Formats: sequence, C-alpha cells, structure tokens
Amino acid sequence: MTNYLIRRVIQMIFVIFLSAAATFVLFNIAPGGPLAGLQQQQQQLSREDIARIRAQFELDLYLPVRFSRWLIGVPSGPIVVGGQELFANIPVGCYLPREEQVTNRDGEIVTRPTGCDDYVYLAEIPELHPAIRSSRGILRGDFGLSTVIRPGRPVLDELLSRLNATLELLVTATLLSLLIGVPIGIYSAVRQYSRFDYFFTTLAFIGSSMPVFFFALLLILLFSVIPVFLQDTIPWIPRIPSGLREAMRDYSIAEWLPRVEAGSLWDRLLHLFMPLLVLTFFNMAGWSRFVRTSMLEVLRQDYVRTARAKGLRENLVIYKHTLRNALIPFVTILVLTIPGIFSGAIITETVFAWPGMGRLYFDALSRSDWPIALAFIFITAVLTVFALLLGDILYTVVDPRIKYK
Amino acid sequence: MAATAGTLSAKQPIEKQDSQLMVVARRFMRHKLAVISLVLILLIFIASLLAPVITTFPRDAVDISAPTRPGPPGIAGSDGRIHILGIDNLGRDLFTRMLYAARVSLSIAFSVVILSETLGVIIGAVAGYYKGWVDTIISRVIEFMLTIPLLPILLILSAIMINTDAKLPLPGFIIKALSAVLLAPEREANQVFVLVMIIVVFGWLGAARLMRGMVLSLSEQDFVESLKALGASDARIILRHLIPNGIAPILVNASLSLGGVIILEASLSFLGLGVQDPTPTWGNMLNGSQSYMFQHPWLPLVPGIPLVIVALGFNFIGDGLRDALDPRLKR
Repeated sequence: MTNYLIRRVIQMIFVIFLSAAATFVLFNIAPGGPLAGLQQQQQQLSREDIARIRAQFELDLYLPVRFSRWLIGVPSGPIVVGGQELFANIPVGCYLPREEQVTNRDGEIVTRPTGCDDYVYLAEIPELHPAIRSSRGILRGDFGLSTVIRPGRPVLDELLSRLNATLELLVTATLLSLLIGVPIGIYSAVRQYSRFDYFFTTLAFIGSSMPVFFFALLLILLFSVIPVFLQDTIPWIPRIPSGLREAMRDYSIAEWLPRVEAGSLWDRLLHLFMPLLVLTFFNMAGWSRFVRTSMLEVLRQDYVRTARAKGLRENLVIYKHTLRNALIPFVTILVLTIPGIFSGAIITETVFAWPGMGRLYFDALSRSDWPIALAFIFITAVLTVFALLLGDILYTVVDPRIKYK
Repeated sequence: MAATAGTLSAKQPIEKQDSQLMVVARRFMRHKLAVISLVLILLIFIASLLAPVITTFPRDAVDISAPTRPGPPGIAGSDGRIHILGIDNLGRDLFTRMLYAARVSLSIAFSVVILSETLGVIIGAVAGYYKGWVDTIISRVIEFMLTIPLLPILLILSAIMINTDAKLPLPGFIIKALSAVLLAPEREANQVFVLVMIIVVFGWLGAARLMRGMVLSLSEQDFVESLKALGASDARIILRHLIPNGIAPILVNASLSLGGVIILEASLSFLGLGVQDPTPTWGNMLNGSQSYMFQHPWLPLVPGIPLVIVALGFNFIGDGLRDALDPRLKR
C-alpha cells in the first residue's frame, strides 16, 4: 500500500505538471490575450511603448522562463553564491524584437519577428520585473494579477471573493441531490418495474438528454416570466427572481405576500431557488440511476438470496446486505464532486447570473483574462487528481477485498 | 400424392430465414418511443434539407421597419408577409432561422460523430489487437483525457479559436463541401469546421474504449488464430474481421453521442463560444433570445423545442438500437 501510494503521488505530480504546462502553453501561444486590443492602436504607439507594455505582462520573457516563473517563481534574478552572481549574462527574453514586413505566399503583408535588438538578461530581471508586480509562483500560493476583469488585482482575491457564492450553491445542491437521489435509486431498484420506478427512470432519462441551459430557461419562463403575464387573471401567483444572488432593493413577489427585504434570508433563498432546482434535478437524475443499477446488480448476488433464505427481515436484507455493497462504486462519483464544488457550474451560474466560480471562469475566458483562467484550471486539476486518489484510498476502506500493490 | 404431402410437411418447419437486418429492424420497431423519435428526427432533417423551398425568407434578411421587434408568431412584416413563428430582435424570420439552424446543428452532430467514431474505432482496435506497450500508452492517454472536465477545456479551445479568428490551414474541398451543405459562405463553414474538430478531439474516447474491449475479447477467438494461419495481414484482420464483428455497440454509442454532441454544440453556442451569429444554430438563437424573453416568452421556445426533441430523440433511438442489437434479449 505504501509503495502504491508513493507511485501514485509521483504519477499525480507528473499529471499536474503536464496539464499545467499544456494549459499554460495553450494560452500563451494563442494570439490575443492582454495585448489583443493593442493591435489596432499599433500605428500610434512607438516601438518602445509596445515593448514596455509587453514587459508589463512578462511577454518579453521566453516561454519556458515565463512558465517557470508562473509555476514556482524562479528565476527572479541571477543566482548568488557567496557574493558571486552566476549566469547573469544568460539571455532569458527579448525586450525589443526586430520585426520585418514580409509578403507571405498569399500576397498578404505580415509582420514577422526576425531577431532581437535588445535581449533581457538574467541580471535584468529584478529591475524589469520587480517582485511586487510579478507572481511568486502558483505553487507558493501566488496566482499573479488579473489583467482584464479586475486589472491589477490579485487573482487569488478574485477567486476567494467568488468562492462563497459557489460553495453556497454547490454544497446545497450536492447535499439535496444525495438526500433525494440515493433513496429514489434504492426504492426504484427494490420495486423494479413498478410505477414509481418507471416514473423516475423516465425522469432520469430526460435529465440525461435535456440541455441544462434550456431547462434553466424553461424554469425562468415558468417562475418569473409567465407569472407577470398571468398577474391580471390570477393575481395571487408569485414570481421568483431569476438572476443574481441577492436583490439590490426591496421587491414584492406577489401582492398578498409581504415585501422581501434585499439581502434578507428570504431574499437569498428566493434567489437560490431556481439554480438549486436545476443543479439538483440533473445531479439527482444521474445519481439515482447509478444507485439503481448498482443496487440491482447486488440484489442478484447469491449472498442476498442466502440472506433471504435464512429468513432475515427484508429491511435487513436491503439496508444491511445490499445497500452497503451497492454504494461502494458510488464512492468514485462522490469524490469527483469535490473539484466540482470548487469549480462551480459554468452553465447554470451563467444563465442565472450567479456570481460564482463557474461564471468567473467563463468571464475570464470570454474576456481573455488568462491569469484567472489559468489559476482556475490549475486548482481544478489539482483537486481532481487528489479526489481520484482519495477515491482509490476510500475504496480500500469500504471494500476490504481490494488491495493495491 | 402421399409422398408429396410428406415432403411438404417435412419442408414446412424450415421457414424462410429472416436476414439479420430484418430481425434487428423488427426488434427496433417494438420500441415505440424510438420509432416516434426516428420519425420526428427524420421530419426535422427533411425540413432542414428543404429549408430554401419551405421558407421564402432569406436566412439573414433583417426587417428594420417591422411593427415590433421581436415580434410574436403570425406577425406581418413591413412588406405585409406573415412570419409564422415571429421575428427576432433584428426582424429576421424565426422559422427560417430555426430551419437553417437545424441544418447547422445536425451537420455538426453528424460530422463530429462520424469523425470521432471512426477515429475511436481505429485507435481502439489497434490498442486491443496489438496489446503490450501500444495498448498501455493508448489506455493511459484515454484515462487521462477522461479525467479532464470536458466543458472547461472545450471552452478554452473555442475561446482561443474565436478570439483569434484563427484561419487554420484547412483543406479547401472540405470547407467548400461544408459551405454547400450549410448554404453558408465559406468563412462560416470554416468556423463550423473548427468547432467540429475541437469537439472531435475529446469525442473519440468512448468509441475507442468500447472497441478496445471488443477487440480484446474477439482476438482471443479461434477465427483470428486461423486467419493468422492463413497469412492474413494485421490490417486485413483488423479492418475486415475485428471491426465489423464489434460494430454493434459502436452503433449504439454513435446514436447516443449524436444526442450528446447536439447538446454540447448548443451549450457552447449558447455561451457564445461556439458558432457565431449570423450563422444560426439552436444554441446561439437561445442565447439571443435570453435578453428578450421577459417580454417575449415564446422566443426561447422556437429553437428550444426542436433542440430538446432531437437530443431526446437520439437518446431514445440509441436505447432502441441497444435493445435491438443486444443478442441477450433475443427470444
């Protein structure tokens, strides 16, 4: 087991490094990013201005150097050993690229870098990229600064400011779907082919083939749009707020109900209602189906028949002999909710304008705030890998038959 | 006379054997929801093919001076022509756009599924046939890619593609063919094809895993041994014998992933990182309807209902195919 764990951890580090490198390179080789808007103004800007702006985003450094600085915060200057500066004259980037107008094969004139007029040397890093402005490395908990969404603000602050909203939504949704989905799965399996089973199997089927965002839009239609149209004919019908986490000012959901204070518990709950319903529905649909299948599999086992033949009470057979074994594969699904709870629900949060992680990530992507998107992906990857390891360890705990070598 | 009667009665038990296809088709017909779905999807498919005949409005024709924009179903435009499903915020005919969107969405779904299933089948068959280090590498790659959360990664790829308006060096004949199918300019076809390739990158995993498993068990069987003894090449054994023998679960998987891809493409386009306006897809029509739905609640239903029918339908068809192809259910 110890050997297995050591091997797994080494593998994990490798996988995390690989995915971090892949995403970093992907974001950095893609044109656009923080300099996207600069292209149009290039005529008015001098070459030195552009170089200064490029340096601000560390784009003057070579890609591997940039990656290493992003990940672990080195090199932050020349290596000093006993008062002696080592490798100070190694070029690590290009401050002023030499560019030439070239006509390419299609006859278009393009600007191509052909060399370098002014290299950045290792000794110049502390001066060009002072430690206050640059990241100390993601592994030391410094995720750098946001570039577009909150320019100059630490990415970590931005992430933390969104974490609460996401946790509130995702934790509630996960707990609710567990509390509802697992019992439904059990009952469906015990009463296979009953009306109850058919109803929830169909529901699960719809859940697996219905687009999340359309379901969300339908809920908005049902709870916030249609009530407004019906208010003349059915005055008592309440309408539920369809976006954000809390209201800016007091509002009333129906005339016969007291006004809802902005920011009160009621306000929060009303805003939570629809996104929670969406997430719970889809989780529940998947999970109840999973529990049902694995319950049915265990119910067919010989030892269940033996337990019944011994004359055990049916409750004991179901809950003690069947359920415990049926829930073992469920562990894998359960641990994978951990990264999910952090990363939020991109589509649901976007539709309901919920100020959570998923929406932040989506905004970061569509507005090219690469540092935020990178940090999000990195944390999610780390959490996913740890969750998978946790799942494997938990597996040995709940199922002693499994041994890792 | 008696003798003939005897031969007749002896022959009677040997009925005309139905072909495999007939048996499968008959079993498929028993799944009512699958048949209904097939009919509905075929209807939508044909309607989208005949789009330029069914509707006389051009796809992107805007009607700035329409009485209201967006307008309700049955509204008459400024030229007095009736828009049966209404118009959007630019005065474009929603019914027309919905039909053309079906063209785009279905083309994307079919291209993605055909490409990714082919890729997956070949990779999976190679892994299962050669075993050893080939299998180890392929399986590890698949495992790794399966742990990656799909939506965030697809969003990255399409965000980069869209932000850069990347002109990938795509083969011209594919773009020309696609733009002919979509009845759209080549620039739009280019964008659609980029999206197709982005989804294919992560789309082949399921088919590869299925095929690998099938080939692993098939290649243990005697007929593979005898093929090798007869001197058949590896390529021939894989392409002519192993893949055709393991194709049934791939068909089921393909049908189910058609539904999945439709949803995925719609989600990306809905988030604004898939196919861009003016090329209509159900996803970006829903995106466009979002800000107007409070005054005009029918707007999201126009693209939403066909989307749900097609997504659900492909899943039901997959379900029906599984029942029809699974020999364990044979009576």
